[in-house]
Parts: sequence; structure tokens; C-alpha cells
Amino acid sequence: MHETTSTSVDLKPKDGGLLAQFKNPTALAAACEKVRDAGYKKWDAHSPFPIHGLDPSVGIRPTRLPWLIFGAGITGTSVAILLQWWTNAVNYTFSISGKPFFSLPANIPIAFELTVLFAALTAFFATLGRNGLPRLHHPLFNSERFLRATSDGFFIAISSDDPGYRPDSTRALLEAAGAEAVEHMEDDSQINAKLPRPLTIVLVTAFVLGFIPLGVIARARTNTSPKPRIHVVPDMDSQPMFKAQAAFSGFSGFADQRAMRQPVAGTVAMGDRHLDEHLTQGIVDGAFATTLPSEIPMTRSTLERGRQRFNIYCAPCHGEAGYGDGMVAQRAQALGSPKWVPPTNLHEPRLRSQPFGQMFNTITHGIRNMPAYGHAIPAKDRWAIAAYLGALQLSQNAPLSAVPQEQRAALK
Amino acid sequence: MNVDKMHLLEESVTELPPPLGGRVKAIGFGVGILGLASASVLGYLQEDHYTRFSFSYLIAWAFFLSITLGALFFVTLQHVTRAGWSVVVRRLAEGLSSQALLMALLSLPLIVPLAMGNHALFSWADHGAVEADHMLHHKAPYLNVGFFIARCVVYFVAWILMARFFFKNSLRQDGSKDPALTLRSERGSAPLMFVYAITVTFAAIDFLMSLEPHWFSTIFGVYFFAGCLVSFFATLILTGLWLNSQGVLRGAIHVEHYHDLGKLLFAFNFFWGYIAFSQFMLIWYANIPEETFWYLTRQEGGWITVALLLIFGHFIIPFVGLISRHAKRRTKILAFWAIWLLAMHWVDLFYLAAPALASRLKDGALAAGTLPLGLLDVACFVGVGGMYLAFFAVTMQKKRLVPWGDPRLNESLNFENA
Repeated sequence: MHETTSTSVDLKPKDGGLLAQFKNPTALAAACEKVRDAGYKKWDAHSPFPIHGLDPSVGIRPTRLPWLIFGAGITGTSVAILLQWWTNAVNYTFSISGKPFFSLPANIPIAFELTVLFAALTAFFATLGRNGLPRLHHPLFNSERFLRATSDGFFIAISSDDPGYRPDSTRALLEAAGAEAVEHMEDDSQINAKLPRPLTIVLVTAFVLGFIPLGVIARARTNTSPKPRIHVVPDMDSQPMFKAQAAFSGFSGFADQRAMRQPVAGTVAMGDRHLDEHLTQGIVDGAFATTLPSEIPMTRSTLERGRQRFNIYCAPCHGEAGYGDGMVAQRAQALGSPKWVPPTNLHEPRLRSQPFGQMFNTITHGIRNMPAYGHAIPAKDRWAIAAYLGALQLSQNAPLSAVPQEQRAALK
Repeated sequence: MNVDKMHLLEESVTELPPPLGGRVKAIGFGVGILGLASASVLGYLQEDHYTRFSFSYLIAWAFFLSITLGALFFVTLQHVTRAGWSVVVRRLAEGLSSQALLMALLSLPLIVPLAMGNHALFSWADHGAVEADHMLHHKAPYLNVGFFIARCVVYFVAWILMARFFFKNSLRQDGSKDPALTLRSERGSAPLMFVYAITVTFAAIDFLMSLEPHWFSTIFGVYFFAGCLVSFFATLILTGLWLNSQGVLRGAIHVEHYHDLGKLLFAFNFFWGYIAFSQFMLIWYANIPEETFWYLTRQEGGWITVALLLIFGHFIIPFVGLISRHAKRRTKILAFWAIWLLAMHWVDLFYLAAPALASRLKDGALAAGTLPLGLLDVACFVGVGGMYLAFFAVTMQKKRLVPWGDPRLNESLNFENA
């Protein structure tokens, strides 16, 4: 049974133009020149492989694509620099060791990447756009003959959209140019260029469904909810674990419901010196120690070590003389950042009267915006620094009576 | 669609005409001997135990060595990739790479004084300084005179043999037209690429980086290599254009080849900038004094001008100038940028080597930040350059200037940029 379709009259194939086949590349190139010289504009040559020198025969002008790509590249560079300048130097200034908020070398890699990204994307999409792609159907694909364009056929196709196109005279031109065969192309793009109905349904459905996550996100961002949040991966968010030495009611590993045994009374684990409060915390009898621990003798070599460590770890902020004028502090001062807390002058009376244990404690745990150095400097070196600090403070506030008799005259 | 274009070669002059070759040789030897002689006199007059002379000579020597090494890489690369387009220019590159022998001879004024205990150039050769300096003492197992000279021998033997291998194969093919010789070169090329990479990296470290032996940069070999390629492509373009202007290889090396050489010149110049910045940024970012001092000395006084000249003159301006297809296909514009980049390559080597000079001279002889430029640099450059030109003419005399028997010669003549 042949079912009559409801295709209306205006969907009949139109005249799409003419397709001419040529014997070889030389014949194609010669014919192209004739078509070009006849003033046609909407036509193209097709061959299975690139033919050098065909572009001028077809009359293709040099592409303007490079200018677009160059412009996009420059735009990428500018966008990258502006973005980094605005985020780092304007919108969210954050002083890192007093370094400048905006410094060109740090921004070059991003600028390089965005230059390449902008240029590459522009090259890709502008090539597609200027070639009229993507396109679902083309009248050429109706021709059986044209299939050979990918193996051994050389073709010229003149579109019926060309203002100079006349079915008879154009055919005559192509035949005169040496075409082996000339045939009409049927332009049925109005019929065939329609998306298949199932695909249309899928695309429309996907488009509509795509709004659901957006809606959910928009709602979540504007409303509060009393419900607990959704755990996508619950075993990452709430892991079963025990706190050492704490009792858990549901746990039956040990008789006292603890997760771990306590150390045997009177033992110290290897490397565990926490019991020596003086050495590891600077505390003696619940107060800051006023002396160095017995392991750290107050000798010249301890002070030398302390000076060396001080100049490495402390001097960048506090300055080598300890007046709070290190290089980092100077740079931050120059930036004038309101968020910057200047490093303390170590010769303030408040600090001069601090016991060694408290200096040790400050180095270990940090204070205000000074970071903790406990992880970075071994305890013995921290004590050496504290000892050197004592010497440094004395050096800036020594009474005349502390200077040896024979050198006092030089100071007066 | 390769049509037979061998007639292009048959109609063209494919050998260096003897009068022309003779003239080049005469000029080269004349200028070379005059330059080297006046450089030695000027060096003696400085009364600094040839210290200034050593630096000027090293820069001139490294300049022509880098062209040679760039050529050696190019020849190897063409065989690794089985390139067809480049066949017509490969013989010229083979000739340039064969100057490795000349460069070995010309290295004697640097190496002989070193062997005799002179440490004008390399402070690590000074026993007193090494004893007093913990870092130099630590590096002494590598940086010592004996091992240095042994390494130099290895480099030059490797480069000379590599260049000979490709050049001899190619020359034998001129007569026999035996495609098996091409296969032989291709099989050898990939392993030799490794030899090349290692020797060039260490040579850059030894001859240039060790001038300031406290400083180190792991990318330095690549940096020097990038400079080699830039200077080589510039030289090859100029050589081809000059030969064409003398009626040699006219029609054989044509605009399509220059276009491609221009692309490579542009690409490797960008590569140079990329590597130069990579080296700078890591050191700048880490901000460790043992690395930053090298850049710090190069930002003081006149050196900041040289540094800015490199950023703009070696990188940004030629980048914009060479990016267009138009610039690469107009031989006059291309020649302009080739000369420009050769000049910048000299500035680059000057920037790498010359700042170390101040510390070698007596205190106050050269104020910090002063550029040690003078007639000595001109004399050394002209001297080494003249010898290079003359020996290149000697290498190429009575030989075809294209690989006559290469099976891809016709493909190369047909080459067109899509």
C-alpha cells in the first residue's frame, strides 16, 4: 500500500544549481578560471586532494581569519592581565610577605594561556562560521556522481543562489569549459534539512529538563532549609572513627569500652619528650621558665647557632637587629596595606622582661599574625634563638656597668 | 601532485662558481686573519692577562658555534622526520654543521690557556678560589680542568662525527643516487638526536653557565639550544637569499621554502622567549638569593638596558614582525628579520657571558653595571666570522649545493605551503 503523504506543494525540491565533473586537476583548474572570469560568486570546486595553486583559479581572496585570531589573542592577553590585576590588586588585596599585589611576571603564564585559548577557540568557531557550518544538509549530497569527490572525481558546483545563474547559459559555460558531464542539483534542503522528529523531541526534552538543576540551585541559594543537607557520599562526610582514650558506649573492643589502651604506667614512648615540660614547652611548675633547660648550655656556640637561626627565620620580618624593620616589614609598609600587622620591635620593655620560656612559647606557637615555627625549627634551635634573643636585647640596652672597664672610655 | 621539476635545477647554477667561491674565501680569510690578529693585539694592550680578550672571544666563538649546532640539529631532525620539503636547503645546513671541526680548532684559544693554568675565563679553575669557597670546592669533582677538557673532547668528537656521518652519506648519494643512503641517515638520526641533546646541554653548562659557577639553572641547556636554532635559521635564510642573488640555486630554493624557514625562525624565536621566561619566572618566584643574584647583576646599571633590549628586541618586536604570512613570503622583509635576530642572538650571548667579566678584573677596573663593550668585541666577531665564512666556502667548493641524489629532491622542488 502506498500511503499519500501530507507534503504540501511548496516543499517540492527546487533547482539547486549545476554540478559539472572534470577529467583531471588540470582540466578542473582551467575550468575554474573560466567560471571565475564569467563573474560567478556562489560556486566552489571539489577534489579528492588539495590542489596547489587552485585558490587563485577559483578566485578565493586571502582569508581574513588571521586578523580575527590575532585580535582574539590580544583580547585574551588583555582579559588575563585585567582579571589578575583586578582580583589581586583591587578586589581582594592580600599581603603575602609584603610582596607587591600586582607583579607582571606572575601573571604571564595565565596571560599566555588565555591568549592561546581565545585565539584557538576563535580560529575554530570562526572557521566553522565563515564556512556556513554546521549544516545538516547540502544539495550536493543528492548527487550519486558527487560521491566520487572523495576518490577520483573533480567537480565544480554553481549554486542557483548566484545572481549570474541561468540554467541554460551556465550549463553552456560549463560544457564549453570542458566538463565531462553536467547535471542539475536538487535543492531539497527544505525537506531534508528538517531534524528527524524523535531527535527533535529528545533535544527539546533535554533543553527543558536542563532548567531543573538551575531551578534547584537558584532555590537553594535564596532559601534556607531546616532539613539536613544531602550527603552524596555519606561515608566521606561521616566516618566511623574513635577518639583515642575516649570511651564509646557502643564499642566492645576492650572491657572499659575505650578504643585504645593507655600506655603502661611510668613508660615513655620512643622520641616522646612531652614529659619534659621545660624542654618542650618552656614551662616549669606551671609558669614560663626563666632559665634555659639543662640540655641547652648558655655557651658561645649556642648563641652562634641562635644568631644563625634567628637571621634565617626571624630577621626577614623582625630585622637582624630585632627592631621590627626586616625586609618583609619594609615592603609591606611600602604597600600601605590596611590588613598588615607590623612585626613587634623585640626591644620593647614588655618583651625585654619576658622569661625565656615565653619567648620559646611564642616561637613555637606563633602570636597574632606571626605563624607558628614549632614544626619548622627543632626545639633545641628554638631555645638557641631564645638565648640569642636575650643577648640581642642586652646588646641594645646594656648599662655602662656591663661594659669592661678598659672599653668604657671609647663609648663616652 | 608532484610534477617533474628537476629542470629547475638543470637550468640553475647548483655549484658555487669558482670565482665567487674564491672571492668569498679571500674576503673570509683576509678579514678573519686581520680580525684575529688585531684582537690579540687589542687583548694584549688591555694588560689584564687576556681576560677581556677571553670573554670577547668566547662570545664570538659561541655565536658561530651556536649556528653550527643549530645546523646539526636541523639536519638530524630532517632525517628523523623524513622531511621532503627541506631537501633543497639541507646541503647548506650540512655544510654549516660541518664547521664543527673549525669550531673545535677555534676553541683552542679558550682551552689551551685553561690547560696551562690560566683562569681568566673560568674562576673555578683557580685553586686558591676553590679552596676558599665551599660551593666551588663542592662542585670541584665536575668543574675541574682535567674533566672539563675531557668533556670538550667528547663534545667535539661527537659533533664532528655526527656532521660527517650525514654529510658523507649525502655526498655519496650525489653520484650513486642510492636511496639506501637516505635510509642509513634516517636510521642513525634518532639515536644521534639523543647524543646531540646531551652534548649540547652540557656544553652550554660548561662554556657559558660555569662562567658564574655559583649559579645554576636546569633549563640553561634548552635556552642555549633555542638560541642555536634561531641563529641557524636566520643564517640559512640569509645564505639562501645571498646565493639566489648571485644567481645560484635560483628557482630551486623558492619562496615556499623561505616561507617555511621563516615559520621555523618565528617558532624557535618564540620558543626562545618561552624558555627565557620559564627560567626567569621560577627563579623570580622562588626568590632564593643563591639563584637570584644572577638576574640581579643583570638588572644593574647598563645591564637592565640589555635585558629590556632582549625582551623587546629578541622577543616581542620580531614576534609581531614575523607573525604575518606576508612578512615570511617577502624575502626582503624576511632577510631584515633574519639580520635583526642574528644581532639579537649576539646580544643574548653577551648578556649571558659578559657580566661575569667584572669579577675577574682587578677591583675597580670595571665598575658594576658597566657594559664591557669595545673594539675587542668587534675584532673577535669579525675574526671568528671571517674564518667561519672562508671555511664554509672551502667546505662547499666543487660540491653540489643541493643533495643531488636525494630521492625526495623533486618533492622538495614541488613543495608549496597549503
